[in-house]
Amino acid sequence: FEWSDLEPVPQDDGPNPVVKIAYSEKFTDVFDYFRALLKNDEKSERAFTLTAEAIELNAANYTVWHYRRVLLQALEKDLRQEMRYITAIIEEQPKNYQVWHHRRMVVEWLSDPSEELEFIADILSQDAKNYHAWQHRQWVIQEYKLWDSELEFVERLLEEDVRNNSAWNQRHFVISHTTGYSDPAILDREVQYCLCQIRKAPHNESVWNYLKGILQDRGLSSHPGLLERVLELKETQCSPYLLAFLVDSYEDALETNNTRATLNQAQEVCALLAQVKDTIRREYWLFLGRSLESKYGPTAAPQSDAASSDAADQQELS
Amino acid sequence: MLDRNIILVIPVAKMSEEGNQIEEFEQIDFLKDRHVRFFQRSLQVLPERYSSLETTRLTIVFFALSGLDVLDALHVIDKDNMIEWIYSLQVLPTEDESNMQRCGFRGSSHIGLPYSSKGPGMAHPYDSGHIAMTYTGLASLLLLGDDLSRVNKRACLTGLKALQLEDGSFYAVPEGSENDMRFIYCAACICYMLDDWSGMDIHKAIEYIRRSMSYDNGIGQGAGLESHGGSTFCAVASLRLMGRLEETLSERELDRIRRWCIMRQQTGFHGRPNKPVDTCYSFWVGATLELLDVFQYTNYEKNRNYILSTQDRLVGGFAKWPDSHPDPLHAYFGLCGLSLLGEPELMKVHPALNVTQRAFQHLQQLQQAWRDNVSSCT
Repeated sequence: FEWSDLEPVPQDDGPNPVVKIAYSEKFTDVFDYFRALLKNDEKSERAFTLTAEAIELNAANYTVWHYRRVLLQALEKDLRQEMRYITAIIEEQPKNYQVWHHRRMVVEWLSDPSEELEFIADILSQDAKNYHAWQHRQWVIQEYKLWDSELEFVERLLEEDVRNNSAWNQRHFVISHTTGYSDPAILDREVQYCLCQIRKAPHNESVWNYLKGILQDRGLSSHPGLLERVLELKETQCSPYLLAFLVDSYEDALETNNTRATLNQAQEVCALLAQVKDTIRREYWLFLGRSLESKYGPTAAPQSDAASSDAADQQELS
Repeated sequence: MLDRNIILVIPVAKMSEEGNQIEEFEQIDFLKDRHVRFFQRSLQVLPERYSSLETTRLTIVFFALSGLDVLDALHVIDKDNMIEWIYSLQVLPTEDESNMQRCGFRGSSHIGLPYSSKGPGMAHPYDSGHIAMTYTGLASLLLLGDDLSRVNKRACLTGLKALQLEDGSFYAVPEGSENDMRFIYCAACICYMLDDWSGMDIHKAIEYIRRSMSYDNGIGQGAGLESHGGSTFCAVASLRLMGRLEETLSERELDRIRRWCIMRQQTGFHGRPNKPVDTCYSFWVGATLELLDVFQYTNYEKNRNYILSTQDRLVGGFAKWPDSHPDPLHAYFGLCGLSLLGEPELMKVHPALNVTQRAFQHLQQLQQAWRDNVSSCT
């Protein structure tokens, strides 16, 4: 390309530059010419080619990416080729915001998500928790309604690493947007799935968060037989998460039926957590114990809604 | 009561190269002077390997300046020069005000406009502000003691408003970008500092925040996304700045967020369940816990020991993990994490606005003066 007609534009930080980056001559050249093109808003092949050079030097420069998109449209460039290009760049720099945004724009222009799930799966095979990858994946699935094989994908990832919190999140994402959790058969299937994963790997916050998450708005103590299963698991597959789940189950029960017995059970678990099982959060579990006592104990102020004033009437004072 | 400053080493179990467990001693003394020098150097010249930071240089300036402020060491820099340079990054309205929706602050001079720290704005097809730069630009001016009188507030707020989407979240730039909780926080800080919420639709932003609450009671970057310590901070701090925390979230919801946050402590803190700890989360999660009044129930010793284990004893600063390279972001948030813990030589940090309490008080005085001016004119 001929560049001699263009006057390069240097960066100007004034007399006292701050956080100045010391660029090589090559780097400075590329960007000085880029700035010149930008100023003239030049729409040409040489401009398009230069954006690739600029991106190679600094793929985080969002102005370069924007300008490249302007050129892609103005020059009616081959977007399939652009997909190949951005695929390669993301493989090299999978934690860069700009590259993922660019890919999204190209997919939108093409209205073609057909490569996305496989591509993202490849990125996730290198880092199964890459937030950008999961974000892009959720966007593609929701935008183009590609729900059909996602639960299967999630299960595969959970088989590889049952502690992958991103995969558990995706599980919730898929189910809540497809079957939902209202169907008791689905809810029970999920509860059983959780219990199975807990038996295999008890020390796993993710599975307990998921279990609690899908039940908490219906009431943790509402799922028949669950409390008993958890109490069984407490003997052989205990964890701080199991015990926290227990405390929350007891608190849920106290909301509708405030008894000293239940409150004592909750207090016992808080004490166990504070003293033995989750000592790093000792002060928190003690605080929680005090809160429970104050909310449900003998000195508790009467609660405002009807259900709990009935409960207050039933309350057994120790 | 043990004075923790007397204990300079703690025994730590480590894996030897042969694969058996050995005991090492970790030094946990805080090297204040090293960190001052680390930030001073960051403000000077950075090697080419930092080129990816070009468009975000103003955020690096913020980390260094606010870091020096937390260290009570701002006297080492030339504040006036710094203020001039920051103002040169303001995207001001052109004569015909045709670029109002693109106003704010730039991250650096990378676009190539000639240096100018006063208006009017220069027309350029691709010159526009970036929401995170407007936020850190204003915060930096504030902590340097500037009175923001050269900030075109109307332009900044017009530029900000143009960035908000229908779903309540914000773009970073008017040309378009990704949108998520980070930029809601930036927007909230901007409106808070300028004492003017006309720059955003608060109701829509709050709805976006609520929709980003996860099944596990943490908050993600957006609806359906995995809950994360960074986005949880952005959400809670934004609500606090809006003055809407207690009215948006029920006591039960607040308790659930408290629980999610407090479970992030492993030694230091991580950002998501089953991920490794990282120094910066001592601030993101720590500050959130402080905003929710339960930071007092965390384990201070383990948190402090972790942060100090990531301290670079040679060059200063902090890294995300021990034996890793320090960078301005982790140096700053490591310091803020220690400040939350009450580290003696550090200034207190406002957990929502992320500037020292001193800078915050300066802001309050400024805003009082603005209100007095308004009422004396009417």
